[in-house]
Amino acid sequence: MAVQLSSKMQEFTQEVYPAIIGTNRKDGSVQINPVWFEFQDRSFWINGGTNRGWFKHLQRDPRITLLLIDPKNMFRWAQVQGRMVNWAEDPGGEHINHLSHRYTGRDYQNPRTGRIKIQIQPERIKGSIDGWGR
Amino acid sequence: MAGGGNAIAAVSPTVLALVAQPILTVVGTKRADGSLQLNPAWFEFDDGYFWLNSNRWRTWPKNVQRDRDITLNFIDASEPFRWASIRGRLAEVIPDPDHAFIDRLARRYTGRVFRELRPGEERITLKVEPVSVTGEMI
Repeated sequence: MAVQLSSKMQEFTQEVYPAIIGTNRKDGSVQINPVWFEFQDRSFWINGGTNRGWFKHLQRDPRITLLLIDPKNMFRWAQVQGRMVNWAEDPGGEHINHLSHRYTGRDYQNPRTGRIKIQIQPERIKGSIDGWGR
Repeated sequence: MAGGGNAIAAVSPTVLALVAQPILTVVGTKRADGSLQLNPAWFEFDDGYFWLNSNRWRTWPKNVQRDRDITLNFIDASEPFRWASIRGRLAEVIPDPDHAFIDRLARRYTGRVFRELRPGEERITLKVEPVSVTGEMI
């Protein structure tokens, strides 16, 4: 069941820091790595190469958890439990370039081929931004 | 991948330098239904083990005690895409009734002793054995 973000949470997602994502490996262990993200149209959007371990994990088990944390103030954080609801090719790397501008202020410097964009619907949110125990 | 099997993984000098800093670790655990939980936490690396502390009644320490499986992610705050991830196994849970260890961690991170405990809060120390190391900087 998708949830809506409070206005405070929505403001937090507009700040620039990587999302730390957790995915389920085949052997049951948890993989954690940072990725660029944006929040738009009630979904989180991330971008990756089809050969990424975490994308393969999501194809098998679409459950994903994002930890959003302010690197300058570690007590400001939110945990978003979500689900990959859609993914699509990113022809020409338009989306990765868009994310690159959000994070670096300039064009994406690496090859823009073979990229995909992934839509994540938030299902549960906890953490210090939105109050505890929600 | 370093280590594997039951061996304690070797932690490289670059990762050692990273974990010597008072950065947060992101703790990854699994809930009973298999979904993932991520929480920021304080830690210390000492004597080949990662040492964490939590309130016994919180979800992530309960998750770890269920399957002993834990992933610790470390990110260099000055360069967020330099990171290391340690897959670990819970080696021991040690009660911390006098708050000695949480005070030690609080001093590492804040320079002060830990806040006053809340009613019903029970601190425990989790000793984690590194099993393998992955990431961008191993």
